[in-house]
Amino acid sequence: MNSVQMLEVFKTAVLVRRFEARIVQMAMAGELPGSLHAGAGQEICQIAAISALSRDDYILYGHRGVAYMIARGTSLASILADVAGKEGATSRGKGGVMHVVDVANGILGESGTLGGGFVMSVGVGMALKRRKQSQAVVYFFGDGTSNRGTFHESLNWAAVQKLPCIYFCENNGYAVSVPTSRSTAVADISSRAAGYGVPGVVVDGSDPAAVHEVMQTAVARARAGHGPTLIEAKVTRLHGHYVADQQTYRPDAELVLKTKDPLPKLQQTLIDAGVLTETQVTQIEADVQRQIDEAVAAVRAAPLLAPEVALQDLYA
Amino acid sequence: MPIITYSKAINQALAEEMARDENVILYGQDVAVWGGIFKVTDGLYERFGEERVFDSPISENVMVGAGVGAAIMGLRPVVELQFADFLLTAGDEVFFKAGMWRFMHGGAFKVPLVIRAPSGGSGFGPEHSACPEAFIMHAPGLLCAVPSTPADAKGLLKEAIRLDNPVVYCEHKLLYAMRGEVPDGDYTTPFGKAVVRREGDAVTIVAWQDMLRRSLAAAERLSKEGIEVEIVDPRTLNPFDRETIVESVKKTGACIVVEEAYRTLGVGAEIGAMLLEQALPYLDKPFKRLAIPDVPLPTSQHLVNAIVPSEDDIYKAVKDLVS
Repeated sequence: MNSVQMLEVFKTAVLVRRFEARIVQMAMAGELPGSLHAGAGQEICQIAAISALSRDDYILYGHRGVAYMIARGTSLASILADVAGKEGATSRGKGGVMHVVDVANGILGESGTLGGGFVMSVGVGMALKRRKQSQAVVYFFGDGTSNRGTFHESLNWAAVQKLPCIYFCENNGYAVSVPTSRSTAVADISSRAAGYGVPGVVVDGSDPAAVHEVMQTAVARARAGHGPTLIEAKVTRLHGHYVADQQTYRPDAELVLKTKDPLPKLQQTLIDAGVLTETQVTQIEADVQRQIDEAVAAVRAAPLLAPEVALQDLYA
Repeated sequence: MPIITYSKAINQALAEEMARDENVILYGQDVAVWGGIFKVTDGLYERFGEERVFDSPISENVMVGAGVGAAIMGLRPVVELQFADFLLTAGDEVFFKAGMWRFMHGGAFKVPLVIRAPSGGSGFGPEHSACPEAFIMHAPGLLCAVPSTPADAKGLLKEAIRLDNPVVYCEHKLLYAMRGEVPDGDYTTPFGKAVVRREGDAVTIVAWQDMLRRSLAAAERLSKEGIEVEIVDPRTLNPFDRETIVESVKKTGACIVVEEAYRTLGVGAEIGAMLLEQALPYLDKPFKRLAIPDVPLPTSQHLVNAIVPSEDDIYKAVKDLVS
């Protein structure tokens, strides 16, 4: 990953961070429901992973954050409309922020039951293989989700059929309130790959270049018809499981917030490398605020979805 | 018209649809090389090759879930679940992924998936004998076909494969060997249109699959005693043709539902409630249900026979009602 690409990851991460913070702020003020599972701390990893994909690759994603969609080009206003249940929502009020969908940008949606994306991505992989097109599908999930049976069934089948599926685990050490050490018998989720005869890779999720590189390798393997890869990025969850979670179960919550945030670290790295200046940072922040303000204004002005929409979209 | 078995009718439907549309794929445990444990998919692997007909591991969650994933990408997967009971093994994928993926994403996708669910035919034990229609009927987003004849088995499956919505296609294990006329050439049977299998004025019986067969046999006996039973076969349970049942009840003034599933909140309960809402003025007699008392089905056939509605049970129920 070159310095220009790295700078792009940084800019998108700032946008995502500030956008999510605004949603949280609006939720705390009672203007929006507090159903967001903030991705703060994990967005650099998510954006860097997506930066290794082509425009025609597909993704299915997990609960944590909206970076996936923003990195693929989904508009802030449509995501915010999903949160608010307003006209312009991608799921027409059916899925909220959990089911943002944007097929034109390769976003195939989210399973509300965690780990449902594993089995869905196998089917997407089957379709891509049958079409004989050189595309890949990535499923982003958490360490807790890797304990679902769907993980095991799908990894086995994707491996047997050599499907172009990439399983990208964001290991943030917590499944809601339960630390990984109390839910999972292995130290590295990626070690489970061996049980299915596929490569398992660990990467530092705060290092965009490293994440980009392991994704590139996995994508090349998928495109060549060699089957799935299991990637595990070690990341930090800066906030609670969702907006109102005060993390009373987590003694190091404040310390993590102060010391483990990868965003200021990346900013400093880029400044030290001469790729970014303090002035540019100020400009990026101002630009980001403007974009968010515009989206908030548009969604505030948009009408609520009509009641009859609740009865629509079930059958084709 | 050629006379073939119910099993062969399903096989023909699969072969014709696979020949017509290369997006149709078929998979499930043992469906390829072995031709299915009930031999329903015999010859399809040889004809269409391993890219379109393949065996899967014992992984019901991914079998159905991958079907949904492939369907939203434009394929038309047909998944055989071997035993209808396994719909619950793959419950998340059947009810949430297949049933809701389109809805919860605001209509962004179509899910043209068919889940073939060999149902009923007790004697296979508590976890291999279910008629799970009520579960499916209770789940928004899933269509449900319950073919009772070879002609319907073929026509409804061809229709199911062409529909853009997920279908649970219940094929009854005790009907596989049943023979019947099947129309020549390409045809489909529309969903949501019940058929009156026998006309009468004494009572309306609603029944399908093996319970239809038993009801028709009972009706023959009753006819000899001058009691003419009208029998409605719904053919699909979602969409559900309420109108034909109500019309029949207007004529007969009485209704018995015979089903091969648990009584409480079964399909019969829904039909009874529907008649209260829509046809109460026409009911001269109490609504009746014959179903399995709320116990799992045992394996031993004589125990099964003690609880599954029989031809005799149906005969007696009608006699009690009309006397």
